[in-house]
Amino acid sequence: MMMSSPSGEPVVISGTSSDSHTWNLVYLQLLVRELGHPVLNLGPCVPDDLLVAECARTGPRLVVISTVNGHGYADAVRVAPRLRARRELAGTRLVIGGKLGIHGAAAARRRDQLVAAGFDRVYEETELAAFADDLARLRVGVAS
Amino acid sequence: MTAGFGGFVARARAAGRLVVQPRMGFSDTATMRAGLLATKRVPATTVGTLTLDSYTRVNDIAAADHALAEGIPLNGYPIVSYGPERTATVLDGIRDAGFPVQVRHGSARPQDIVRASLAAGLDATEGGPVSYCLPYSRMPLTDAVRNWSHTADILATAPNAHVETFGGCMLGQLCPPSMLVALSVLEGLFFVQHGLRSVSLSYAQQVDAEQDEEAVHALRRLAADLLPGVDWHVVVYTYMGLYPTTPHGAAALLESSARLAVRSGAARLIVKTAAEARRIPTIAENVDALTLAAEVAAATRWADDEPDAADTTVHTEARAIVTAVLGLAHTVAEALPAAFRLGYLDVPYCLHPDNAGRATSEIDPTGRLRWAATGSLPFRARPAAAGRGPTSAGLLAALSHTQRRFDGLPATAGAADRPVLGAQMTITTPGPTSTYLPPSPPEHLASPVTRAALRVQQQVLTAARSFLAGDGFIELLPPVIGPVTDPGVRGSKQLDVDYYGHRYKLMTSGILYKQASLLAFDKLFFIAPNVRAEPVETCNTRRHLAEFHQIDVEISGGTRADARRLAERLLVHVVRHVLRTAGDDLAALGRDPVVFAELLREPFDVLTHAEAVAALHDLQYPQSTDAEIEWEGEELLSHKARRPFFVTDYPKGSRGFYDRENPESPGTLRNFDLIVPGGYGELVSGSERESDYATIVTRMRETGENPAKYRWYLDMVRDGIPASAGFGMGLERLTRFLTGLDSVWQVNAYPKVPGLVAP
Ligand code: B12
Repeated sequence: MMMSSPSGEPVVISGTSSDSHTWNLVYLQLLVRELGHPVLNLGPCVPDDLLVAECARTGPRLVVISTVNGHGYADAVRVAPRLRARRELAGTRLVIGGKLGIHGAAAARRRDQLVAAGFDRVYEETELAAFADDLARLRVGVAS
Repeated sequence: MTAGFGGFVARARAAGRLVVQPRMGFSDTATMRAGLLATKRVPATTVGTLTLDSYTRVNDIAAADHALAEGIPLNGYPIVSYGPERTATVLDGIRDAGFPVQVRHGSARPQDIVRASLAAGLDATEGGPVSYCLPYSRMPLTDAVRNWSHTADILATAPNAHVETFGGCMLGQLCPPSMLVALSVLEGLFFVQHGLRSVSLSYAQQVDAEQDEEAVHALRRLAADLLPGVDWHVVVYTYMGLYPTTPHGAAALLESSARLAVRSGAARLIVKTAAEARRIPTIAENVDALTLAAEVAAATRWADDEPDAADTTVHTEARAIVTAVLGLAHTVAEALPAAFRLGYLDVPYCLHPDNAGRATSEIDPTGRLRWAATGSLPFRARPAAAGRGPTSAGLLAALSHTQRRFDGLPATAGAADRPVLGAQMTITTPGPTSTYLPPSPPEHLASPVTRAALRVQQQVLTAARSFLAGDGFIELLPPVIGPVTDPGVRGSKQLDVDYYGHRYKLMTSGILYKQASLLAFDKLFFIAPNVRAEPVETCNTRRHLAEFHQIDVEISGGTRADARRLAERLLVHVVRHVLRTAGDDLAALGRDPVVFAELLREPFDVLTHAEAVAALHDLQYPQSTDAEIEWEGEELLSHKARRPFFVTDYPKGSRGFYDRENPESPGTLRNFDLIVPGGYGELVSGSERESDYATIVTRMRETGENPAKYRWYLDMVRDGIPASAGFGMGLERLTRFLTGLDSVWQVNAYPKVPGLVAP
């Protein structure tokens, strides 16, 4: 289930512990790779422990949580502090996107709580262009 | 008949009613109960559903408990957290013999779920060792198989237990139907081998209605062979991939799934709602979807009780897979992990580590889902596509193919839907100005356009022959010369040959011989070469050739309606076949299959000649009311049309003596032309035939023919020939229409454009 590609610390893409959807992950993997980043796709239903361990091991340039099953908010609020608690991941860029709740578009309150839990950015499911821009900027940052 | 869930569905099926069911699950018990009650009250044959939440599915009961305690809504009903008593109160007074309730989950380790369900009296569920593992879990497949074997054993202790396979869905999209059918059958057999006596086999609607029908028929056929003595039915799932976002798109897709279920002989349908693309649907949205599906189902004609025995690609591939897998071990439970290891079972785009991932899929140019690469599957579908996986945009285009089609957006944004074609050569067709006249024969024959068109034509012939032969028609080889030939063709002249001092004619059509041949066979056809010295003015109509071919069909005792219907079916069959087999050539010629979508929806419209004339007058075209419709007029109507249409009842005098006059409406003929859209004009001409000797002689005189010339024909008619109806379909015109080429000469290897001297 782990698909890595060569050269440099990867962008980690991961589903949440309860979410088994994979098309979102396959899609994001292709997108991120096309934008020039190595990818480590951890797949769906990633237990919190595994996510933390893999991030600690690979020192990713970016961690992308993608979730659509409607438990995203609950799962992400739980796992983010665990990532942040690891010293080597305290400053790692951590973002999330997809369908985060079961009632459609994310409420502002939910977004604030995700940021408070440790996310640098919460994307609406339609904000792919913004996500791609951020990835492009990330590459510049790495090169300089 | 069995009791329980399976028996309920069987009784509904016997009564001709499709069972409709929601995918409904709420974490709040009051809402869940209200949802079940609302489902029960829908004026249709419904069964209830408890769809479980994701935490329960992955056995994270602590997380479910936590969410319940915090008031965080879940995406389903947490049956283990609530326990049997709580669940019994949710069901109390609602679930009964007339309203069974099924538990749907998606767990690779479902023992606790099934125990909690059975304890609440819920003996109908869903799952499978493969289908509840690969799309739902990281668990090794062998562990999931073990868990599901254990679970099946638990279920088999309940006397009326029913299990539905999820193998007909897998990841919801882009898995070719043959794999879905094979997995569904294998999982069904897995449950039966564990002692279950009542199962249902699922099939999730994919991207093409006809292919889906073939798939359900294949599923029924395999089930009939492999599950004798078992109570089984087929359950169809409304589309399980990226769903349309508009209300009309969502409704139309749901409707098409209801038609699929009924037409293919399924017994149950699990619906999707208008909220599918966005969020968990409300009770009201579920009720709307159930109501709509039931209405559409009630208005649709059921399939035959026997599944269609046609050896479709889906059937052949699915049977090959099932046979190969069953050959690996004594039980399905042992065979499944081995089959995945060997790649006999391989699900495209599946990230699970036990999936080989060598087989890939694509949506072909005709809109069907097919294998792009077959990896180690036990058959070779087609030459493997050239390397390169999809791009993100390509994947998204394929995933959203159905969504866009039903939302009314362009179905193929970018080359993405057809990744294989992108790698192929593209042929540029010459611009319209250069196409009036053919180049030199060598240049014409060597041209990639000619070659592509001729390959398409070959498929036309293959399709026409197999369709007609399959309908009981015998192919006869027509004569090329004879003492007389068909006189009834507008403005064209006949060509003579010297036959031992007699002036013989080259055949302008095979009509006289077709009528004669009815003495030998009731249903017959020619692929007939015809020669007509068309007026020189027709050299630039782009649809006349002096030498051409017709698919010429005759039906003894047939009526005009019979001939028309046959022409319609033949055309639809040929178009389907060509889209399926010559997609690459069409794509190379730049022909977008979308233009045929309307055509494939039979029946075609019918206009009388008088109505066609009126339509032309409305378009300010000066068409005479009692004459043949002129070339330009016909082309104009053809340009205006979105779908093929018939023009019937031409006035006498415009056609040959063999077109029967309408006794109810003297002066008009019981004939028809078929006009195709896009300016391609007339494709078929046909009629009910006159077979009465005296009438024919009179009609000959009226049209200025000398009966004496037709001696052999009239002698035969006097002794009696059967009444009949028939038609001729222009082969080159049909090929031109299919290829979208500018001019009919482009689809003939040795074109003779009227008036031009050519080899
Ligand atoms: C296919 C599908 C499935 C398949 C999944 C197979 C697989 N292994 O992937 C199956 C049938 C197995 C399935 C199961 C379930 N599903 Co489902 N599924 C879908 C469906 C129909 C399509 C999803 C899909 O393929 N999308 C294709 C990808 C490319 O699109 P996407 O996932 O939406 O991702 C896009 C955006 O969201 C965004 N995005 C996603 N992540 C990120 C991250 C970032 C950083 C950014 C910027 C953007 C972004 O970009 C992507 C590209 O556009 C959707 C409904 C729909 N959309 O039509 C429901 C849906 C996602 N499923 C849903 C649910 C609830 C489930 C289940 C829990 C069953 C249930 N209770 O109904 C289970 C999951 C079990 C579990 N443990 O989680 C719900 C989620 C509800 C919600 N969030 O409110 C949906 C919306 C259906 C519905 N309306 O109820 N499902």
